[in-house]
Amino acid sequence: MHIDLRPILIALARSRTGALLVALQIAIALALVVNAVYIAGQRIEKIRRPTGIDVQNTFLISTAGFTAHFRLLPTIESDVRYLRNIPDVLAATTINAIPLYENRGIPVVARPGEHIIPLVSGSFDIDEQGLKALGVKLIAGRDFRPEEIASPQSYGTPAEVIITHHLAEKLFPGVSAVGRSLYMANSTPARIIGVLDRMFSSSLNASWVNDVTLEPRRPNGASSESYYYLVRTEPGQRDRVMRIAEEHLSASNPDRVIDWVQPLAHFERLSYAFDTLVAWFMSFLTCILICIAALGVFGLATFNVTARFKQIGTRRAVGARRGDILRYFLVENALITAVGITAGCVLALVVGYWLSIANQLPRLDLYYLLGGVVVLFVVGQLAALHPAYRAAAVPPSVATRTV
Amino acid sequence: MIGYYIRLALKSFRRTCGLTLLMGASIALGIAVSVATVSVYHLLAGNPIWWKNDRLYAVTMDNWPPRAMLPSPPPGVDLALGPSQLTYQDAMHLFASAIPERKVVMYKTRGVLSGGTARKLPLRAIARVTSADFFAMFDVPFLYGTGWNAAADRAPKPIIVLSKEENQKLFGGEDSVGRTIRWNDREFRVVGVLDDWLPRPKFYDINNGPVLPPEDAYIPWGWGATLELPTAGDVECLTLGSLKTFRDFLNSECNWIQMWVELPRRSQRERMEALMNAYWSDQHTRSRFTAPMNNHLTNVGDWLAEHQVLGDDEHLLLIFGFAFFAVCVVNVVGLVLAKFLGRAGTSGLRRALGANRGHIIVQHITETAVLALGAALVGLALAEGCMWVLARGIALVNSNGAEAAAHMHFDMWSFLWATSLALVAAVAAGLYPAWRVARLPPASYLKSQ
Repeated sequence: MHIDLRPILIALARSRTGALLVALQIAIALALVVNAVYIAGQRIEKIRRPTGIDVQNTFLISTAGFTAHFRLLPTIESDVRYLRNIPDVLAATTINAIPLYENRGIPVVARPGEHIIPLVSGSFDIDEQGLKALGVKLIAGRDFRPEEIASPQSYGTPAEVIITHHLAEKLFPGVSAVGRSLYMANSTPARIIGVLDRMFSSSLNASWVNDVTLEPRRPNGASSESYYYLVRTEPGQRDRVMRIAEEHLSASNPDRVIDWVQPLAHFERLSYAFDTLVAWFMSFLTCILICIAALGVFGLATFNVTARFKQIGTRRAVGARRGDILRYFLVENALITAVGITAGCVLALVVGYWLSIANQLPRLDLYYLLGGVVVLFVVGQLAALHPAYRAAAVPPSVATRTV
Repeated sequence: MIGYYIRLALKSFRRTCGLTLLMGASIALGIAVSVATVSVYHLLAGNPIWWKNDRLYAVTMDNWPPRAMLPSPPPGVDLALGPSQLTYQDAMHLFASAIPERKVVMYKTRGVLSGGTARKLPLRAIARVTSADFFAMFDVPFLYGTGWNAAADRAPKPIIVLSKEENQKLFGGEDSVGRTIRWNDREFRVVGVLDDWLPRPKFYDINNGPVLPPEDAYIPWGWGATLELPTAGDVECLTLGSLKTFRDFLNSECNWIQMWVELPRRSQRERMEALMNAYWSDQHTRSRFTAPMNNHLTNVGDWLAEHQVLGDDEHLLLIFGFAFFAVCVVNVVGLVLAKFLGRAGTSGLRRALGANRGHIIVQHITETAVLALGAALVGLALAEGCMWVLARGIALVNSNGAEAAAHMHFDMWSFLWATSLALVAAVAAGLYPAWRVARLPPASYLKSQ
């Protein structure tokens, strides 16, 4: 099939402004769409990272004592006993911070001394059911024992810790960490008794998100500080157990306040709220941008068909078939789109490079660019289809009319 | 004449209904998205106490170890500025100075309020432990009563100031001055109730996010150490040391106190700087402050800029919002051009009847302006929707969602933005097509008729 490009190019050169505007619009749209989709994709990837924790079947109770009659340890003992005896509860522990949410990091080092660069890790105080309540997997060493759970001290190091594999590799590269000691905030060693497969800390945006230390200790409930119970239930039973527990605990002790009872998934959602927002915003923008680019193409093609109504009739009258007319407009549109896409590719790379510098984003992935090119080209041709069919439907008799 | 052009414009809209709707929708969407992003940006980037920008200074001193000894910070974090808060010992030393006209040391703490007349159950609340000048320094408005004086800070008096919302919850909004309320298990007398006060961003304490509302209650500074009230904000301890008691914590190298001073005169500022430098040198000889001297008095505007109250994500939304607006405008230029050239015959006729090029240009620009302003109204309504979504997202990530989100909606600013964007769109979209139409020789369009 032979297509003569010459008449198309001559016609384009005669009315270049409209075509250039559409090309420009496609170029900007491509640059934005490719980068927006790329950013959205990164956020979604981030949100989907496995946390190592059984997020769906756990919930938290926030509580604080606030009168002089409040006794922390007896209250904890009776609360924990109550929670563990609710049917369908797999495990319950006290915990000093909200996993996946509260910003808490402490420096840890492999050797004591002042001039060692400390690593930062997320730290949680849990009890002997802590690992089971979190749903994390031990890959070396052992769990905490009930007699190892220290009473709350605001500041100080426990005798034993369990750490994540990721942190262990940073502290003791290539060797087993179990049995070794690490140092947190002071010079008393803490012995590593277990290593976890994987667990996220509380700061999901931090570089140390995979570095966690777990300490066997009751939380510090002094001065009406909040502390939490973390409860893990059988699948599907979470909401029912939450209601039962809240009802009982709110009324059981007048010296404390039950702040809230919330599923852990709620806090994971909060932590990713901005990422979710960015992903939605970018996806929304992408959809509208593609629609607007399509409208631009459609508008120009429609205008061209209307303006050349008579010429089309003349061409038909001197022998052009419907297919020729259709092809003419589609090829013309393809040329304009191709120019826009070529400029758009350059622009997309520039924008991507600039974003990676200015906003510390990873460099644009070229597959996204390829995808954007294909989508915009196809959408551009589809948008021109209707005007092209209208052009093909122009009867040859138009040529014989004067108006 | 303009009235006639507007009538012409409306007639033309009626004739080309579909095309007009397309153009209007394009402008409206562009305006909506950019107004929403700008409003969020403005909310986070504004200086809520600009009238005191050259008087209020945040006080910071760098007690961190030399940077070479610290782990490399995550991307986007600049350790060169040093800590944004003071240690207790440094704050107390500087607070003793008589140089500033007003001075405040403070932090926030979490506790429980109970014993109000309008509520049975105890209420979890955040209180600011602060010295007396806080209210006068930050121009905090009172609905009832007042704050306290410096004497109440030293030997702490059991007095408390409530926010308007908290007074509503505890006393049903009545004048509660003189009433007693329990903070944890100690009785405090209410001496003041604040009026609506919502500095955005919350410049005086950037812990836990810039769109948090101010605290629920305020108690005199001395209670912090007396009751060993822990901070509810960030504690930065970059130097290792043994901490067993609250006293150890107060004497430690941990940074957790916010300090601001009011220095209206240049001479005061210089004397304050001299005081800080002398203190630094003195401590340096006692082997504290091991990094090079890095003392700062920072005004509110610089403070907000330096501490990146705006994150990269907000910038990203803003950039994409405006780029989107640009695409919309380019799109409209194309459509307008097609439309104007399509009915160039009419313009030819008008030229032949005596209209000059200027008239034709004004007529066509009027048409796009009417369209753009109409689209701006639709855009504002859409922007409210966009903003609601954005606000929820931004507020949620700053941990106290609902309250913050309730205060985000469009204001005078968004309105101004929408109108100016509409005008930009109108001129940008209309100018070139109008000029093209006006330049066409009228004769060529008349002869085929």
